[in-house]
Amino acid sequence: MELCLFLGCNTPAIRPDVERAIRASMPILGIDLVDADNYVCCPAFGAFPSTDTDSWLATSGWNLSIAEEKGCDIVVQCGSCYSSLRMGREHIMHHPEKQERVNELLEPTGRRVDGRSKVRHVSEVLYKEIGPETIAGQLKKSLKGMNGVVQYPCHTLFPSEVVGFEDSAREPKGMRRLVEALGANVNSYSRELQCCGGAGGFMKSTPEQAIEFAQSKFDAILAETQTDFIAVSCITCLMHMENVQNTLNKRVGEERYKIPIFDYNQLLALCLGFEAKQVASICNVPRDSVLSRIA
Amino acid sequence: MDLKGSIQDLWKDIYNTGDLHHCFNCSTCLSGCPASYGDPPLLVRNLARMVILGLEEELLNEDTPWACVSCSKCEEMCPMDVKPFEMILAIRQWQSANDETRVPPSIVEIYKRGYTQAVGVNTDLRDSLGLPELKTITNNPELLQMFREMLMKTPVVSANDYMFGG
Repeated sequence: MELCLFLGCNTPAIRPDVERAIRASMPILGIDLVDADNYVCCPAFGAFPSTDTDSWLATSGWNLSIAEEKGCDIVVQCGSCYSSLRMGREHIMHHPEKQERVNELLEPTGRRVDGRSKVRHVSEVLYKEIGPETIAGQLKKSLKGMNGVVQYPCHTLFPSEVVGFEDSAREPKGMRRLVEALGANVNSYSRELQCCGGAGGFMKSTPEQAIEFAQSKFDAILAETQTDFIAVSCITCLMHMENVQNTLNKRVGEERYKIPIFDYNQLLALCLGFEAKQVASICNVPRDSVLSRIA
Repeated sequence: MDLKGSIQDLWKDIYNTGDLHHCFNCSTCLSGCPASYGDPPLLVRNLARMVILGLEEELLNEDTPWACVSCSKCEEMCPMDVKPFEMILAIRQWQSANDETRVPPSIVEIYKRGYTQAVGVNTDLRDSLGLPELKTITNNPELLQMFREMLMKTPVVSANDYMFGG
């Protein structure tokens, strides 16, 4: 199956090792990736979706039209990109007057959009299209003997009728099954479905409270689990959950918060035999405790 | 509360859906909202009330819609299908249209180079990871110009064209 890879901005600019992990792992599992050449910002919710419908949907339309030209669906890792593209497509598909306006705006650029390319999250492709059993069958190494916890990207859960793919958004299973497929034991904890709090304006507008909010999650992980790592599948979760641990350590005056964070595709690529220096080389919380045990 | 200055039909300018009026202030929207922990807190149900009551001045001065993390849990949980996240975006849009200081600077970045981050310029790092060169709009002047011209026809860019000059 061919999918159009939409990278967003943070992954290629700040965490290209995650991009490498996605490009390395997906083809082995039967997903051929074609680049969304000349894509633009998804657009981020804090940008055009916060100013007017025309600029929002024209930008979504620009991106969707690239996949439509290639004749395949879009695959995306960043939660915000995923949700923005899906919501944009939803508006374009279900409101003929919006679709007409978007095409009027796109026309001079030689583009058109009709919504025939769907937008899929990489964790959905892994969980539903490929499946944990197939993944487990391809591994050269495993996370056996390690405990993990999972962070579900909010943008893949809510609102479930627009973005969802889990049987129940209130009891999602995908990330757990995917990490278990790599051989790890997945621990549950009380704040498992609590948002990382890293997207949008929360951190910018009230950082004190946003950091405390994240602390409540990390405290629950430390108190209730034996985890060795956190598996995420969203670039914001990855970057925020690392950065906030460093901030918290400065506050408490000790290295209390040092749980390695991995994007799922990084763990997958490592278990498929790729080198950490390519697929998991950039981090703000050391990962050696996990990397040294993948065998 | 003094409702003398309120504008009865303000909701039509901001969030013109019948579903908004189904809100009965149950607070379900707050229960899973990260930004409701903020100071000041984002209180989605209060914003819904302000829109319905037509409190124009108070709403123009509200910073809290911009604290939303866009997780959309409120949208999932709302029992009355108000679609609170879409309401938050609608309030931001209305604020941006009525107060240029609300226009997010990120849209100027996107206009200038296509992205909020500098995508595709970290070529040494990308090379070292074995990654291909990205075809970005930043490096394609002709396409970037088309993108800008498209945006120039949209309300936010045409109304604030001075922000996008140069």
